Amino acid sequence: MGRTWSSMEDFEAFLDDGGMVEVDDDMPDEYRTAVFRFIELHANSELMGGLTERDWIPMTPGLRHKMAVLAKTQDEIGHGHLLYMVAADLGVKTRREMLEDLFAGRSRFHNVFHYPARTWGDQVAICLLVDGAAVPSQKAVYKDCSYGPYKRILKRIIAEEGFHLRLGEERVLRIAEGTDAQRAMFQQSIDDWWWPALRLFGPDSRPDDRLARWRLKSEKNEVMRAGWVQKFVPMLHSYGFAIPDPGLTHDAETDTWTCGPIDWEPLKRTMAMDGPDTARRIAEASAAWENTRWVRDALDAAPAGAVA
Amino acid sequence: MTSMTPGTAEFLLAFADDEHLMGQQHTEWIGIAPFLEEDMAFASIAQDELSHAALLYAIVADNGQGSPPDDRAIDTLAFDRSAADYRSAQIVEVACTGWAHALVRHWLYDTAEELRWSLVDGSSLEPLKDAAAHAAREERFHVRHADGLIDVLAHTPDSADRLADAVNALLPLATGLFEPVAGEAEAIEAGVTSAPFDTMLPEWTNRVRARFPEIDIEAIAAPAYASRTRRHGDFAALMSRMNEVRGIDPTAVW
Repeated sequence: MGRTWSSMEDFEAFLDDGGMVEVDDDMPDEYRTAVFRFIELHANSELMGGLTERDWIPMTPGLRHKMAVLAKTQDEIGHGHLLYMVAADLGVKTRREMLEDLFAGRSRFHNVFHYPARTWGDQVAICLLVDGAAVPSQKAVYKDCSYGPYKRILKRIIAEEGFHLRLGEERVLRIAEGTDAQRAMFQQSIDDWWWPALRLFGPDSRPDDRLARWRLKSEKNEVMRAGWVQKFVPMLHSYGFAIPDPGLTHDAETDTWTCGPIDWEPLKRTMAMDGPDTARRIAEASAAWENTRWVRDALDAAPAGAVA
Repeated sequence: MTSMTPGTAEFLLAFADDEHLMGQQHTEWIGIAPFLEEDMAFASIAQDELSHAALLYAIVADNGQGSPPDDRAIDTLAFDRSAADYRSAQIVEVACTGWAHALVRHWLYDTAEELRWSLVDGSSLEPLKDAAAHAAREERFHVRHADGLIDVLAHTPDSADRLADAVNALLPLATGLFEPVAGEAEAIEAGVTSAPFDTMLPEWTNRVRARFPEIDIEAIAAPAYASRTRRHGDFAALMSRMNEVRGIDPTAVW
């Protein structure tokens, strides 16, 4: 056992001094649970994101392009793998329990993965807009993260997500310079994915947010959201695409774009596991998990040293 | 630079088509394999096979001119030929929807591929020669991966039965890998490969027998050969999916 703290005040003073919590520390239960839930949500989201992408691998246009998409999907599932191990070390649930909960619809994943990717344009929009939201969110967690194992894993995840984002930018550029059919497809994808991606940041942060208090978050949701709008509105406009936000405004003096009123009802529905594609996604993932249960059972039953 | 003969091109296309479709089939398991490590292992193996395919298609597209072809030239060979023009073996065309079948195919294929790559390690085609040792090593790693899982699964009656069923179903198709493609003789004549691939069939069969000793290999009849010109019933659906986006607008660059 590592360090102990006599009270929550004592622990929070440690955090205020910039302290880093490690897995063998006797951390307060509230902190342990909060960190676990946060990492479990992240792990589930990486995995469900990977499942979104995997569906489009066979249809990826081009052999080398397919290898890039395959590598990206492998990264996302690899992130899930790393995060599940970090989360499991906290001793709240095992990795298998987390996966069983996910596939039974008992645990959450990010709102954007409750939507169907209907076209190739959707796949590219996810690579741009969703990864474009994930990177600043993860950077904001990494920046001052108080839980050491998570911070160290995030460093690698952020580096890889940066590559994904560049892949998304390249693909959008090719579509933007492409044919009418490509541009029409991608405009529809922007229309469908703009708001879900924007809502990924969540509602404005509460002043009493415990995750901020415990240095799991270092930036307010509304600040990150504004940065995302400021990045993607000019980029997509410059390619001649429209933003599906009639309330979008531009301050010419500061050259700042601000989004219109945000409808949070769709986010609430996804948090209640009732998004547009939630049921199908859970059912598919669950069926795949059941189809291969015999393999896990056989591995569990195999004697130690069965591998030659 | 001299152009390659049509026979050599056909020989290389058969090799490339096998690697391409095998890589494609492995990608189908990413995210739905039995556990996360297997998701990633199948992704890595698929990457290797697709990169072998890209290299082989590039050699054909280059046609001995020594200038690396662009992605479009590679994709034309990989995706735009008619079904009758593919030279893949049926083992890479069949859809394996159960994981026992996917694992057994992975073992059968990679065991054969290690032998196939060893035949071209002195190839007169420089890029093929340069890639051969590396590719053979990758295939060996793939076999080792499959072996590790088969070793463990063989301990449980239910999983051992599933593997046996898969071997019985897939072995006839896998022997089709060794089926000579028209043009192999020209490729040997040109020094592109050192011997007919089916000279490796006895060695492969020995390895299969050692791996699956309970299977009566002789009792499993191989299908009649047709120089890799007959497509499996699953091929059309596979190609249709692979060309779904490309078909939206044939002039588009994605």
